[in-house]
Amino acid sequence: MLRHILSRLVRSFLTLMLVMTFAFLVLRLSGDPALILLGPDAPQDAINAFRERWGLNDPIWKQYLAYLVQLLTLEFGVSMRDQVPALDLVLSRIPATLAITLPALLLKVGLGIPAGVYAALHRQSIADRGVITLSILGFTVPSFVLGLLLVLVFAVQLGWLPSGGQEGVEHALLPILTLSVGGIGIMARFARSAMIEVLGQPYIRTAMAKGLSWRSVVWKHALPNAAVPIVTLLGFMIGSLIAGAAVVESIFSWPGVGRLIVTAVANRDLAVVQALLLVIASSMIVANFLVDLAYGLLDPRLRSRRAAH
Amino acid sequence: MKINRRQTLGFLGATAATSLILPRRLMAQGARRSVTIAVQKISNNNTLDNWHEQSNVGERIFYPNFWEGLIGRDWMGNQGPVPELATEWKRIDDKTIEFKLRQGVKFHNGDEMTAEDVAFSFSDERLFAGTEPVGGTTLYAENFKPNTDKELPASIPGTARRLWPALRGVEVVDRYTVRFHNATPDVTLEGRFFAAGPQITSKRAWDEAKSYAEWARQPVTTGAYMVEEYKPDVSLTLVAHDEYWGGRPPLERIRFVEVPEVASRVNGLLSGEYDFACDLPPDQIGAIANTQGLEVQSSTIWNHRVMVFNTQNETVANPLVRRAMTHAIDRQAIVEALWAGETVVPKGLQFDSYGASNMLIEDWNVPEYNPELARGLLRQAGYKGDPIPYVLLNNYYTNQTATGQVVTEMWQQAGLNVEIQMKENWSQIFAETGRGVRDWSASNLINDPVTPMVNQFGPNGQAQQNREYANQELNQLSVVLETSTDHETRRKAFRRMLEIAEREDPLYTLLHQNAVFTGMKSELNWKAAPAFAMDFRGDNWNA
Repeated sequence: MLRHILSRLVRSFLTLMLVMTFAFLVLRLSGDPALILLGPDAPQDAINAFRERWGLNDPIWKQYLAYLVQLLTLEFGVSMRDQVPALDLVLSRIPATLAITLPALLLKVGLGIPAGVYAALHRQSIADRGVITLSILGFTVPSFVLGLLLVLVFAVQLGWLPSGGQEGVEHALLPILTLSVGGIGIMARFARSAMIEVLGQPYIRTAMAKGLSWRSVVWKHALPNAAVPIVTLLGFMIGSLIAGAAVVESIFSWPGVGRLIVTAVANRDLAVVQALLLVIASSMIVANFLVDLAYGLLDPRLRSRRAAH
Repeated sequence: MKINRRQTLGFLGATAATSLILPRRLMAQGARRSVTIAVQKISNNNTLDNWHEQSNVGERIFYPNFWEGLIGRDWMGNQGPVPELATEWKRIDDKTIEFKLRQGVKFHNGDEMTAEDVAFSFSDERLFAGTEPVGGTTLYAENFKPNTDKELPASIPGTARRLWPALRGVEVVDRYTVRFHNATPDVTLEGRFFAAGPQITSKRAWDEAKSYAEWARQPVTTGAYMVEEYKPDVSLTLVAHDEYWGGRPPLERIRFVEVPEVASRVNGLLSGEYDFACDLPPDQIGAIANTQGLEVQSSTIWNHRVMVFNTQNETVANPLVRRAMTHAIDRQAIVEALWAGETVVPKGLQFDSYGASNMLIEDWNVPEYNPELARGLLRQAGYKGDPIPYVLLNNYYTNQTATGQVVTEMWQQAGLNVEIQMKENWSQIFAETGRGVRDWSASNLINDPVTPMVNQFGPNGQAQQNREYANQELNQLSVVLETSTDHETRRKAFRRMLEIAEREDPLYTLLHQNAVFTGMKSELNWKAAPAFAMDFRGDNWNA
């Protein structure tokens, strides 16, 4: 097990280095932060001084080395735009993002899984068709369309909720709803198909033949087996908690990590992008790691296979 | 009259009930309204330092409510100079101006503004960081020895020296008198004082701030409103400065909220959450103007949209091709189709403000729209249809992409093979050295043709610094326009520069004046200035 964890850690580190190198190359070669941040009207002296201050005149390999050293020493530097430590900037935005993505995740899990399971258990019924229709509708409508639609109805027409901003709980409702609708649909479809597949397995027939009640067949045999693909999807959703709300944050003027990504990348604010990527990639890696552990708990065959190795 | 216990209790109860029914803000004597303004961006670099945030969005949050200078701008009038923190000024000679400061002006921290604060606001520590003036050396440095070791943003000294290339120093004559010493004669010195930047800040507040970043998030100024809270990328709340020298401000609070999406700004205005929605594209005017209780105010601003030629491109190097390009554009059609007729085609690279100093060349105009003439010029040039790359950003300017597409179509109709290449940022624009033409805008900063003709297109302007163009005569005339003190000589020089840059050897071609559109609640009885600036002082509220 320890060996497995160690090998995962090494792979995670390499993944992280690849992500950061790719980000450096793409960002640094596709735009000069001095011109982008200071704008087309800035005097040449100001642009030159900016380049000098931030080491942008150095050869690209030297800049990359400095970037790597910063990365390895967990020293993320200062934002060229805000003149404050980049990591502080990133960390300050995480609570706002989690304030909408966590409740949205709970809704995805709390509504999506039961709806999918119910549909699978009542296959071909009106409820099943309803769940399928709604879930397709949910994940095919883009979030920027849904968000604006919700604002038109609940803010402009009915006046019940604010159209944007981050001042109180009521401001979070529409962003949470917009974020969760697609995920509920995807989760419901995944849960439904996983359950249908499991319900057709011979061990379910065996359990039924043993005379177990339907309830106990579903809870003890079907659901744990159907959980493996659902946990995979859940892992992806957990990994996206920090970075997955950029569009919704823009529509609802919600000052989270997503909006910071957009502005930091647009401005080529390398220190901030670097800190952002590290936090996002780490969260994705941790989520994958947790999913791996969950597989072992859910599926005894995987546990014994790892033990055999 | 005797009041018994029952009556007393009843009276107290009624009072309590009233306090529950009436909003607290209406109970306060002289209660003032607060406004919420939705903007696309509050500040590009997340500071409230007017030297660092030299942008249109900065103008909106800074002027005239927050930052004030010795000479102010008449924002609601002809944009000319008005006394602000100085009550009078006079020329000592052609290099020196003396200002008498307004007495009793209070900073937001309660300190009185004095000559020391003025000297500090133009000091090495605040602006110039040891850079020397053109044509001289620094004077009176002892008046403002740095007390702190704050690191200025790298771009500030360069930006400050662009506006004050030859400022040697500020002499503190007495508590309420200062003299500005320039190294070279400059007829435009007064005009520079009401550009963006040379406004006054409290020296004590600077000294007390732990870092530049801390100071720049809450600068202490003399304006009618002061910073209550600034959350970068989210909101900026200004609160009334009741000791304001110009009288009690009419609003309790002004709250700018950052709403990046135009649809969200419009929706917030329609739902009543915002009192103002700024940065509206022209196609949103109808939706708001047709809603009861709302209106749209449009104002042309002191900024012209231009296209800049790059003579490094072999085809565009031929002035005949450039001239053909200038004659192939139907500018009025663009104004009608894309701007709903809400802006104008100006008289070349000129602004109405030049009239105040008699520098407006009245009989000058943009090249006439004449496709036949354009075709003839192309024949003369021997143009064989070589492609001309046009590098274009995606709506950095309002309507930019649509305008680019329309102009390209017009060029093609005249026989020019212009190809659009979309780019993501300015760096990519300048990296494309083979480009034939690109977009830009030109701003008038100081009521004189030196801006933008010299500061943007002269030898030290960005177009020439990027080697897009060079013309010896134009560059010699730039020096004349900058340093001559003879009005007629300057006027002649400017006319000749227009002839060169817009006709003989085109440097740029002008499209139209820029305009801004602000949606608002009609009940507010407020007028937009012909600028990004939004005036919320007493004279422009319930005017």
